[in-house]
Amino acid sequence: MKAKLLLLTLALCMALPMSADIPARPVPQRLVNDFALLFNGRQKAELEQMLVAFDDSTSNQIAVVTVNDLEGDDVNHYAVRIGLEWGVGSKEFNNGIVVLVKPKNATGYGEVAIQIGYGLEGAIPDIYAKRIIDYTMIPRFREGEYYQGVYDACQELMALASGEISEPRGGRGEESFAGLIIFILMLVFIFWAISKANKRGKGGGDDDNIGGGRHIFWGPFIGGSSSGSSWGGGRSGGFGGGFGGFGGGSFGGGGASGRW
Amino acid sequence: MKKGLSTTAILLILAVVVIAWGVKAYNNLVSGEETVSTAWAQVENVYQRRADLIPNLVATVKGYAAHEQSTFEAVTQARANATGMTVDASNLTPEQIAEFQKAQGQLSTALGRLIAISENYPELKANENFKDLQAQLEGTENRISTERMKFNEAAKKFNVSVRRFPANIIAGIFGFQTKGYFEAAEGASTAPKVEF
Repeated sequence: MKAKLLLLTLALCMALPMSADIPARPVPQRLVNDFALLFNGRQKAELEQMLVAFDDSTSNQIAVVTVNDLEGDDVNHYAVRIGLEWGVGSKEFNNGIVVLVKPKNATGYGEVAIQIGYGLEGAIPDIYAKRIIDYTMIPRFREGEYYQGVYDACQELMALASGEISEPRGGRGEESFAGLIIFILMLVFIFWAISKANKRGKGGGDDDNIGGGRHIFWGPFIGGSSSGSSWGGGRSGGFGGGFGGFGGGSFGGGGASGRW
Repeated sequence: MKKGLSTTAILLILAVVVIAWGVKAYNNLVSGEETVSTAWAQVENVYQRRADLIPNLVATVKGYAAHEQSTFEAVTQARANATGMTVDASNLTPEQIAEFQKAQGQLSTALGRLIAISENYPELKANENFKDLQAQLEGTENRISTERMKFNEAAKKFNVSVRRFPANIIAGIFGFQTKGYFEAAEGASTAPKVEF
């Protein structure tokens, strides 16, 4: 029975993001999302590595997304929604960029959009985004060189963005260390509180008081561990520079698009 | 005597609970309204951004297509109408928003015609300055549709909190009113579809 219920919830959870017509945020999170299969494995890894390194050194996040079908949506709007729903860029700086490519195929024109988060609109004005599309991307896309076009565009975007916001992620390591200490302290406190409550409980009567007390103590503890995934699955430590996750950046529609 | 006292105590506690709830509901409504006002300010900003682009755009097109006088006049007139129409953030009724949207929609249509005549002038189309202006216009139209989307989301959320029981009692007492929305696909969002 329980298993059935679990399956049902799982199915529901999976169905929910699918009802929206943009792709759900990838799990695990990554910056290169080649849904249209335009890149090979080596290219994907190379691009991902470059963008993760850029995120680590400047905190600017460039998400590359390819899809085979925009499902009737405007390419810019589609890219904005990816940026907003995935939260590309940090909440503090809104420094995300979404590069969206829809290859030329049976569903129609090739289309490309670069959407710039609020915080980078000054560094990458619409005109610059348009020029990158017209002079760097589309000529290569016309030749079928999708990877080269995206790669070169990302390099240009990186050069422009790093001039505006360049906040290395170095602080992350210390943060996670501090988080660990707080975590341990909380654990000690919880055990102390529980043992104290148990002792007092012998006096009798206030059994549910203990239960209530425990809830209050477990509350922040559980909350801490779920939000703690950001430090638990640490960026700089652990597995050699994996992507640390999107930061909840916002977009206002700045950027440009093109088709071929 | 004792009984009377405990009844008073219960009533007092009840009153405190109700007032505490009322304050919370009221504060919720206030911050919701604030979010809507902020979103509205952003909407007006991006429309203003578009209005600011127009004189430059008209001047550039004029340089190549001087005799399309009626189109220029239409754009200038529509721009004057649209910028003359502002909606105070405290008065975001559906009628006001519809009127605002109509004025901006007419400007969108006029702009669409202005861009369309560039098709007949290859030199204009190749002009770098014109290309840049087009890119800026495209970006501005996207900003408009994005901020409109965000405004609609904020307004929808606020309207739900105004209508939902029991907060609607507080909303009624303090005169919070539901906000209007932008209607999709009417004029502004679709008109100047610039094809490159």
